[in-house]
Amino acid sequence: MWDSLVSRLPDWAEPVVDYIIHTGLKNTLIIAAISVVLSVLVGVVLGTLLTIKFLPLRGLIRLYIEVWRGLPIIVTIFLLYFALPSVADETHLSFIDLDPMRAAILGLALWGSAQIAEATRGAVQSIPREQHEAAEALGFGWVGRHVNVILPQASRRLLPPLVSLSVGVIQNSTLASIIGVPEVLETAQRSANRLAVPTVDPATLAIEGGDSHALEIYLFVFVLFFLISFPLTRLAAYLERRLAQ
Amino acid sequence: MDALAAFDWQYIWDHKAVLWGGAKVTFELAAIGIAGSFVLGLVLGAVRAYRIPVLSQLTAIYVELIRNTPILVQIFLIAYGLPKAAKALQFDFFTVACVSLILWGGAFNTENFRAGFEAVPVRYREAAYALGLGPIKTFLNVSLPIGGRIALPSSINTYISVFKNTALMVAISVEELTNVAKQSIDLDFRTWEMIWVLAVFYLTCVWTLSFLIRLLERHLALPEST
Amino acid sequence: MKKLVIATVVAVFAAVVFTALSVAAPWSGSARAKADAANKLPALPAEVRQRRRWKIGVKCDFPPFGYINRQNKIAGYDVDVARRFAELAFGRRNRVSLTCVTTPSRIPALQRGDVDIIISTLTWTSAREEVIDYSYPYYNATGRLLVPNNSPLVSARLTALRGRRVATTRGSIYDRYIGNCFAGASKVLTDSPVAALENLRSGRADAFMFDDTFLLGIAANDSNLRMTNHKFLNVPYGIGIRKGERAMKRWVDAAILQMKRKDEFWRILRLNSPRQFWRFFLNNVPRPRTREAYPRGRVPENECPR
Repeated sequence: MWDSLVSRLPDWAEPVVDYIIHTGLKNTLIIAAISVVLSVLVGVVLGTLLTIKFLPLRGLIRLYIEVWRGLPIIVTIFLLYFALPSVADETHLSFIDLDPMRAAILGLALWGSAQIAEATRGAVQSIPREQHEAAEALGFGWVGRHVNVILPQASRRLLPPLVSLSVGVIQNSTLASIIGVPEVLETAQRSANRLAVPTVDPATLAIEGGDSHALEIYLFVFVLFFLISFPLTRLAAYLERRLAQ
Repeated sequence: MDALAAFDWQYIWDHKAVLWGGAKVTFELAAIGIAGSFVLGLVLGAVRAYRIPVLSQLTAIYVELIRNTPILVQIFLIAYGLPKAAKALQFDFFTVACVSLILWGGAFNTENFRAGFEAVPVRYREAAYALGLGPIKTFLNVSLPIGGRIALPSSINTYISVFKNTALMVAISVEELTNVAKQSIDLDFRTWEMIWVLAVFYLTCVWTLSFLIRLLERHLALPEST
Repeated sequence: MKKLVIATVVAVFAAVVFTALSVAAPWSGSARAKADAANKLPALPAEVRQRRRWKIGVKCDFPPFGYINRQNKIAGYDVDVARRFAELAFGRRNRVSLTCVTTPSRIPALQRGDVDIIISTLTWTSAREEVIDYSYPYYNATGRLLVPNNSPLVSARLTALRGRRVATTRGSIYDRYIGNCFAGASKVLTDSPVAALENLRSGRADAFMFDDTFLLGIAANDSNLRMTNHKFLNVPYGIGIRKGERAMKRWVDAAILQMKRKDEFWRILRLNSPRQFWRFFLNNVPRPRTREAYPRGRVPENECPR
């Protein structure tokens, strides 16, 4: 099915589709998957801690949330990619020296974890006071109470924002193209760049190029993202409705 | 921390005119984008909520197309794709930026307002009809004030996102603040100085915006009803 | 149908192998390469030697210097230079990991140590030389203007750019040049050269100022566009090296000079550019008898036309 579709494309399009799908889409999905996992891990912990009534801790977490939610993600990525390396040089903390892919993943995860933290706080606070008390009566400490009793109940409420976040992360992963990560948009741009200029094909020595085909390539990218995101937003809406019932 | 010790305040000061110019463009874009997405969302939200035939379905398609694709791709399509489809659809970059911000914000706002209007109890409208108000007057006097307030918190988030999305115009040639700062980074390697300017600018604006809007929200909040 | 597909695959594969062999042929015989490496070139920097592999940053959006070709492999002039470096250092053209870098990301990638060197259409500027070192020049780019056929700029002096909208890429030497020299000109900046081209085609810019190598191929293919006769900013490309890595600079300079002596840059250019353009680039590559130098002590992007 896929192969016969691809073989019906015009001559210039076949390698472009191949590159966007096999390199671009793969990287987009890797970036999105790792960012979402990091967002959930960090966000759930911070969001739960945010319900503790200890002011300095809450202030710190608030600051974290408001900063990473407040900055445009592209500015966060610039910060991680362009500015951090000079600090790494001075302090010998080479782990903050991020390649473009990691900078993009971390930038998205900082934003995503702030969203998840906020959602988790709401979800945890929505659990009735009696549940806390009952768990306490059963002898659970703070950690055990949250891990075993509160968070499992809160997770039902967390599911819709989590799916929405995944859509957001997938779409915002296109920002990585601005620092050169070969995700879908960047591979599309590289293809358009190649096609714009006549080059020699090493396999056939044929000369190809002269038209960037930018319209077709960007439309393909547009449709590709729609096909990935649409089922997910439907799922989020369904989960939301089920929760409301 | 030499990198930070070498931080050059003078450089920022020397470039204050350029940076302020960029900030002004950002404000213009944000103002147009927010106003546009308010109007678009309000109208299309009503179209959706009252299921106006054909228009409602078209709006649904528009909303799904925008919400399920990255705004960066939309910007590229509007900037470089549309002119190839029809010469009349070619706009200068400032217009492209405004159009893409409004289309994006409008789609999210359509959903916000639709939910708001749909949450207005039917009996309120029935009461208005019973008082002899026509459908337009009912909408303006009953559905809009109540539904609009219900939609307020979620539409606020959309406006803040529209403001932050102005930074994406770094991808096309609009001289807004992120673009101006990026040029300094690329040409003069003044990375920390420019990132600092960007962070302070966006955080100040976003925080002020959400603070003001929270005040407004409290002011407009519906009285507790049961 | 299936047989046809298999036959095509086999044919393409054979063609690739054949071409790869013939491309490699001019320098064939790894024995000679090894001899070169052993006899004439200085010692490789320890890190590269121990790794037994280069890590080199190249462009992936800039045909014909560094781009993703039809086979979805990195190809181009810069890439062939990188592969030749691998051959000179280790006797094998594949002993190199190529990393795609963009105009804004290439110097950070070098400074961070992602790559050993960058061979990425890096025009010399004094501002860049404050943060990195440059090798001996390996290509001479000239700035040109691409305009619509009926543009008044065709017959005007370069100063006519004042008040015009000029497209180029962000952070390039042209970005500075336009800002410094053409008061009232508005810059239409994008990250990729193709976006700049689209801005010219669509009329959002009056001219596209860029390297001749890129513009020439476009002018030849688009009958609505032409290059003007203005030439400016004749500033060479160099290979970017981390500041103060003297062993690296010694090796890279020696390799470039050796390739220049054997006229290898000209061969690499011919492999990467369609035949009809060769004559335009004759003066752009280092050849045995040419002399290249950076305009050190001058700031070319501040030397405005009168």
